[in-house]
Amino acid sequence: MSANFGSSPAAVVSTEKPGLDRGAPRHAAAASEPIRALGLSKRYGETLAVDRLDLHVQPGEVYGFLGPNGAGKTTTIRMLLGLHRPSAGSAALFGIDAWRDPVAAHRRVAYVAGEPTLWPQLTAEETLVFLARMHGTVDGAYRDLLVKRFELELNKKLRALSKGNRQKVQLIAALATRADLLILDEPTSGLDPLMEVAFRESVREAKARGQAVFLSSHILSEVEALCDRVGILRRGRLVDEGTLDQLRHLSTETIDVTFAGPAPQIGPLAGVTIERSGANTLRCAVGGSVAPLIAALAGTNVVALHSREPSLEEIFLHYYGGVSDEHSA
Amino acid sequence: MSTPRRALARRAFADARVRLLSFALIFFAYPLATIAGYKKTYPTAADRLSFARSFGDNPAVKLFYGTPHHLETLGGYASWRAGGILALGAAFFGAFAAVRALRSEEESGRFEITASGAITRGGAYAARLVAIGALLAALWLACWLGVMAGGLPSGGSAYQALVVIGVAAVYVGVGAVASQLIPTGRGALELAGAVLGLDFLLRVVADTSGPLALHWLMPLGWAEELRAFTGARPAVLLLPLLAATALLLLAGACERRRDIGVAVFAPHDTVRRPRLRLLHAPAALALRAQSLSLAVWAAAVGGIGIVLGSVAGSVASGLSEDLRRRLGKFGGGSFGDASSVIGLYFLFFVLFIALFCCSQIGAARDEEAEGRLETLFALPQGRVAWLAGRLGLAVAGAALIAVVAGLGTAIGGAASGADVSLTTLIGAGLNTLPASLLFLGLGALLIAVAPRLGTGVAYGLVSLAFLWELVGGLLGVPGWLLGVSPFHQIGLVPAQDFRAGPAAIMLAIGCCAAAVALVRFRTRDLVGA
Repeated sequence: MSANFGSSPAAVVSTEKPGLDRGAPRHAAAASEPIRALGLSKRYGETLAVDRLDLHVQPGEVYGFLGPNGAGKTTTIRMLLGLHRPSAGSAALFGIDAWRDPVAAHRRVAYVAGEPTLWPQLTAEETLVFLARMHGTVDGAYRDLLVKRFELELNKKLRALSKGNRQKVQLIAALATRADLLILDEPTSGLDPLMEVAFRESVREAKARGQAVFLSSHILSEVEALCDRVGILRRGRLVDEGTLDQLRHLSTETIDVTFAGPAPQIGPLAGVTIERSGANTLRCAVGGSVAPLIAALAGTNVVALHSREPSLEEIFLHYYGGVSDEHSA
Repeated sequence: MSTPRRALARRAFADARVRLLSFALIFFAYPLATIAGYKKTYPTAADRLSFARSFGDNPAVKLFYGTPHHLETLGGYASWRAGGILALGAAFFGAFAAVRALRSEEESGRFEITASGAITRGGAYAARLVAIGALLAALWLACWLGVMAGGLPSGGSAYQALVVIGVAAVYVGVGAVASQLIPTGRGALELAGAVLGLDFLLRVVADTSGPLALHWLMPLGWAEELRAFTGARPAVLLLPLLAATALLLLAGACERRRDIGVAVFAPHDTVRRPRLRLLHAPAALALRAQSLSLAVWAAAVGGIGIVLGSVAGSVASGLSEDLRRRLGKFGGGSFGDASSVIGLYFLFFVLFIALFCCSQIGAARDEEAEGRLETLFALPQGRVAWLAGRLGLAVAGAALIAVVAGLGTAIGGAASGADVSLTTLIGAGLNTLPASLLFLGLGALLIAVAPRLGTGVAYGLVSLAFLWELVGGLLGVPGWLLGVSPFHQIGLVPAQDFRAGPAAIMLAIGCCAAAVALVRFRTRDLVGA
């Protein structure tokens, strides 16, 4: 478990306030809040791609935005950035509505798009220079460090680079701005495991400097390793949000019991589901207190008892229940 | 055909269906309208004979449409007037179909997926050629029906359509070879366009200053020598047939030997030193990306200008008093000297520059379709400033090409010893701008309102307006209806008087359209491909 967990404020429970707060106020509290979205919704014809989303991301916080393909992650990010117009609700970056005033809103933000489509005729170095000039700020020394860390070939044209290498160009450009908010849309797709390590190191550096990171991903190990808080998106709705610990409480704990002889029959217990019973093993999912299970096991010939907290993957699967969300994109 | 081949052929055909439909409509309607116009304008045999005598040997009109034969007959006129223009359209259609199917698919990465299926490279190549063959067959049918509907015999009409489609077939070969040589669809199309430009210039030289034997070198010349309706020479069809076959075999041999995604002329993907100029603004980067394209357009227009200028002297001296009067009927004006004659040709430069504007609209839209604008607009860069910058670049490019057109004709004219004035011809060049910029503004509006369709519709608008100007007058449609085409609103200086009012109105409409485009682009979602 990472030491980062638990350092964030309490989970903000999703509340339904559609249409509220259209013009994000520019008072001091809002201006210091990297992301603040209220009732954010997007409708494409008949499809409600994003449904009354409330999001708050604080400075220095790494927020994991989880969801399967088509859940509405990219649409949400496009609205946050003012690339798409919200059908209802509002989004503000540091208190500035990015739809109304994108130029001002983007000054403190850097973005890595899900698809690394850059200018094919530019080299990696030319691209970095161009993107830095377009952003206005760049930490040149840090950029050089990142180029080394990500082992980027600077003198190759983008059209000759693989998807992973183009992704690196985007990442380096965004990280080198040292922007107060990094919005990363599946930033490690196409990166190899070594580069994934470099990426995690860079995100931790950003966090240590007080930068906020909004990380959209479906790579659960990455979110588990990096994020202070996680929001789980399903069919455009935020179905859960909180620290990993908080999410775990809502979920079940897995307990594996091994017996000396054949596994005994255990009657129906409150909050306990038998997931699997072997010749002399038993796997139970326990929601809430483990006391009834322990009481039931008293007097049986237990030789080993392993308790495991649910992985993020299990939490994730709990919410999706194997249902594909493809059609709700 | 095996199933993967059939699927690939169907896919390639479906990709071209909108383009095919638009071209088929034009290939049907243009000969029909041309023939109907001839019947209406020259109803009696005496009219037709007098027309044939005055136009038959005139270099000014030869330059546009080639050397005419038997203009007193319906077939002779149709073959000369419609056949020449349709051959140009067919050449473009063929080259575009080939590049689109053979190179653009590969550039996008889609072909890699296709080629990983149960299909050989040769099989995939053949399947796409079958699709292109079907496109040409459909176009041939449209052209045949169009000529026949005008009232010409079915056999001769079929032959006329074959003459036109023969040019398309050769340019399919040209496009196929260009697709092997150049790794980008745009570059391959520019190479094929350069071949077509050379072809056109050779034809113009052959028809105006001679020798006529130059016709035997290139497909547009062959199309003339096939002499539809005027002593057909079907044996000449062997020339386009052999040329197309040879080019397609050559391209096929390259296709089977090379790696997917690369081309014979591989660009340098690794550079020694970065070029950091022109990276300070989106419009500067756009200039960097478009500079080669701009140079190609300017060179093509300049080259055509030089040839037009160099034949203008002989054209002017060859004009009979009767013909001057007749040309005057086209739009009014004087044709006393070479400059005036050249002025009339600037209608074509309006077309070229309007098409250049469409290409700039297309390039701007590509930035959005391919997702680059999402990256750019997530930075502190405004949308209005971006689109305004792109339009500004297009205006500057159009102005440059316009000046080059004037310069080219002046150089050509001076070289042939004609009495031309540089300032007048530069003025004639700049005079092409109001109409061209009208199309630029409309194009911007189109991609702002209908991003996915905009570019195609913009090209369509320019083509339709131009064709309307060519056939509308012949059909005897009322002036106001003819006047909806911006091409009709231009005073082609120095042949005609400068028309300040229409020029100002066209500029104003263009500016308004651009302003609405800026507002709309600011307030709509970005739209991918």
